[in-house]
Amino acid sequence: MQINDTLKPTEVALLYQAHHRWLSGWLRSRVGCSEHAADLAQDTFVRLLRARQLSPLKEPRAYLSSIARGLMIDQFRRRALERAYQESLSHLPEAEVPSEENRLVILDTLARLDRALHQLKPRARQAFLLAQLDGLSIVQIALRLGVSRATVERDLAKALGVCYRLRYADA
Amino acid sequence: MPTPDNAPAQAQVDQAIDWLVKLRFDSPCPRTEQQFQHWLASHPHNPLAWQRVSHLSDELAGLPKGLSRRTLDGSQRQRINRRDHLKLLTVLAVGGSLGWAAREPLGIPQLLADSSTATGERRQLQGSDGSRIQLNTASAIDLRYSAEQRRLQLVRGEVSLDSNPNDNRPFRIDTRIGQLATLDGQLLLRENDQGLLLAVRRGEVTLFPTSASPRRVLPGETLQVWASGSFQAVTLHGDPWGWTDGVLSVQQMPLGEFIAELARYRPGLLRCAPEVADLKVSGTYQLADTGQILQLLTRSLPVRVDYRTRYWVSIGAA
Repeated sequence: MQINDTLKPTEVALLYQAHHRWLSGWLRSRVGCSEHAADLAQDTFVRLLRARQLSPLKEPRAYLSSIARGLMIDQFRRRALERAYQESLSHLPEAEVPSEENRLVILDTLARLDRALHQLKPRARQAFLLAQLDGLSIVQIALRLGVSRATVERDLAKALGVCYRLRYADA
Repeated sequence: MPTPDNAPAQAQVDQAIDWLVKLRFDSPCPRTEQQFQHWLASHPHNPLAWQRVSHLSDELAGLPKGLSRRTLDGSQRQRINRRDHLKLLTVLAVGGSLGWAAREPLGIPQLLADSSTATGERRQLQGSDGSRIQLNTASAIDLRYSAEQRRLQLVRGEVSLDSNPNDNRPFRIDTRIGQLATLDGQLLLRENDQGLLLAVRRGEVTLFPTSASPRRVLPGETLQVWASGSFQAVTLHGDPWGWTDGVLSVQQMPLGEFIAELARYRPGLLRCAPEVADLKVSGTYQLADTGQILQLLTRSLPVRVDYRTRYWVSIGAA
């Protein structure tokens, strides 16, 4: 069961009591807005509840701040992505502009893809985009990138592995 | 690592991914499909692993192609200048200016081409190489990474660089008075009226003034470099690194100098009357609230603060 390798809720509660105020201050000094900092602090503890972690934490504050830093980066990337999406819409004919409902689905998927791409080497990134977005076959990609089929297969498997982790494991 | 009962193990996921690559991105022969069916039935977790992996790929395949490409390109903020093979750094603001960055109507190219701060703002950036860069108030830099080197140009103001020593590309820094180079340095650069203040905290930094011979600068050294290329070790009335922790930390600093320092962080005019300019200030002050710092001064020194307007403030004798 998952309980085995996550912190127990009572442990998280203790961490919350001991470090929540400190974490809020730490975040406030970085985001410059106390409401925003409070939200991020809450999100950090939510993430902590779900994180795989064999208790006890040796350096809780270092751990909490690294989660919080990750959340800040995610948020920044998400905003950059939304801005880029908005900009890209201007290049589309109106008929092709996705509906508002689809917008969120597309942005969520792109956000995960964007995070995955950041973890890949340039060649794997390119191969994965050519396969997934452009629908090219392995042979076509191998020709295009000047590498062997086996290399393309490895790159694609690697990329899918990263996507899988982001989608199902590190949620 | 223990796995929850309902999740497929890593081995099953890896196998499902290999099948997906074969079946979706290649033209599988009937025999391959047969083998796949056999694999699917060979372990109770395989169907779920396959379902998850193929769902993942379906989601991505369902993305609108052109729009997604443009959005990803934009968000990764990587513009490759093919002519000189310089790659712009992916700059992630991870620091104090998130709220500001979100409100600022800057397009992505501007955010990328250079990073800058407004008066009173400080910003922390992380380079794609893992180096940490902080910009002080009213500052601007330009960052460019290539396969051979990392490059930072101080356009204006003050910057601290904590170079990631695990990256073995040299870091070159261009300033008005010349170039600096380091591999593993943690250093601070501040433009001032006379030229440039350079402080090194870690690692080795080499200074190449435009019109003088190179000089190694070691941890603990603080140098004032003049435009002529000459330089001199200096002792300051305060900690030049204070702002990187959000504070102004001074010892026995003349009030006139202190107010000039504070004025860098405040929009508008901040004046100090000559008759109180030689009073000495010591202490550590939070830069987040410069109004409060002025208020604190009136408690420790015989001075008063006159607000003609919010942006025109003078300090005089009490």
